[in-house]
Amino acid sequence: MGAYISVPTWWQNLDSRYRLTIGECGECGATKFPPEGACINCAAPGSALEPVEPEGTGEIVAHTVIEGGEPPEFSELINTEDAIGAVLIELDEGARVPGMLTDCDPHEFGRGDRVEATVRRIYEQEGVVRYGAKFRPKND
Amino acid sequence: MRDVYVVGAAQSKFGTFPNESYRSLFGSAFESAVESIDGDFDRTEVDEAFIGTLGVGGRQLGLSGPAVTEYVGLDGTPCTRVENACAASGVALRQALTSIRAGVSDIAVAGGVEIMTDMSSEQTRYWLGVSGETEWERMAGTTFAGVYAQMASAHMDEYGTTREHLSRVAAKNHGNGAKNPHAHLGFDCSLEDAMEASTIADPLNLYDCCPTSDGASVAILASREVAEELTNSPVRLTGSGQASGTVGLFQRPTITGIPATEDAAEQAYEEAGVSPEDIDFAEVHDCFSIAELMAYEDLGFCEKGEAGPYIASGATEPDGERPVNLSGGLKSKGHPIGATGTGQCAEVFKQLRGEAGDRQVDGLERGLSHNVGGSGGAVAVHIYEEGWA
Repeated sequence: MGAYISVPTWWQNLDSRYRLTIGECGECGATKFPPEGACINCAAPGSALEPVEPEGTGEIVAHTVIEGGEPPEFSELINTEDAIGAVLIELDEGARVPGMLTDCDPHEFGRGDRVEATVRRIYEQEGVVRYGAKFRPKND
Repeated sequence: MRDVYVVGAAQSKFGTFPNESYRSLFGSAFESAVESIDGDFDRTEVDEAFIGTLGVGGRQLGLSGPAVTEYVGLDGTPCTRVENACAASGVALRQALTSIRAGVSDIAVAGGVEIMTDMSSEQTRYWLGVSGETEWERMAGTTFAGVYAQMASAHMDEYGTTREHLSRVAAKNHGNGAKNPHAHLGFDCSLEDAMEASTIADPLNLYDCCPTSDGASVAILASREVAEELTNSPVRLTGSGQASGTVGLFQRPTITGIPATEDAAEQAYEEAGVSPEDIDFAEVHDCFSIAELMAYEDLGFCEKGEAGPYIASGATEPDGERPVNLSGGLKSKGHPIGATGTGQCAEVFKQLRGEAGDRQVDGLERGLSHNVGGSGGAVAVHIYEEGWA
């Protein structure tokens, strides 16, 4: 049981799942994650978005620690780690991405802290383990 | 555009009802709304109906609108199901209003219904995760409370909003809901208890979060010509606004407010020819405590960033300058997703007619309702005034 994201749907966005590929609008220069659909800033059609591979580094701009009521696909994770750090990261290239903290106590981190992306197991569905980017603390 | 009036409005009790079906709850709300009409009402004269529901649990995913209107004797009447997550019936209200304004209908029904409490915890979490953005936000482990917690973290950091400011929303709304016989959690909650509750999604605790509820609500709207025959105490819908925002928080330009609320409110104020300071009282979408604080700012009741001091001043208490959520709000009255929007309408209707019982505040002439879908993907705002135009 979980949010149903089929394997084909997951595979459509592997560049963004693994490498956080964002889009840069050819009309106005605004960035967007994931790189699909119309530009949020100027409404140029999605075809105007140029894919850009970011460094994977950025800053936490919103922060929460989930201690209960998690989506069922993450029950195993929360049973193992007690809590999930769910954050919004503003990448150094501009776009904001939602992400999960890893390799740290999520209570110890918050807005303004620097993080970097690393590929981890996200969850398993349809018998297929889904991997994607999580974020760990970065010491500059 | 033609003037439109709410001639009847009511809700079922919100709560946990294992012996009720989504149809029987809707029936209860509909019959109460009919009873609230002053004149002789013939349900066969309803021209059109709009029913909001998310369809939690999947008990009737398709045709869930006609499934409830047939139950109350509106078989044959055009009925459309509206889905905009938690803003479903606020938007259904706007659809009914628009139908009458356009001259398509003279009498239109707006309503909503949800059953949320009869499933396992896993099923409930499965369904409620989908009010946020699924492919990315949810896959980052973010719950629905988590999205609002993220907004709270940013609001607290940016504007100095405190734990106490958040808990004041819970204490106030529980105080109001304790006087509402239709409330799901109709008990008082002290500020201390609200502040010390266990964490759900830091910084939000249990008392920052509304419950999941079963319930239904209905508003019956009419054109001026018809309303003159049906009501002695008219409530006019003077302004309506609706806006969308990105479904995922991460794609929005701001995370300390809900841009769609600002947009919808601006339209509603302009239609009604009023400003925020002209609003006597409001029912706002307090699915989480931070949501009510952001609503104060986005609706223009106070300046951006000032919601914490604004609630601390007592301005939104029942005896304050602008009471908010006299019904108890989503926090205490409950939040059966599809039923919340027209449930807010029912409270405004009762307060303007002096029929709100123990929680009645006297002298109210102009009210506002504010209904949000998801974390701000859809918003409907309505303004109501007592009396004929």
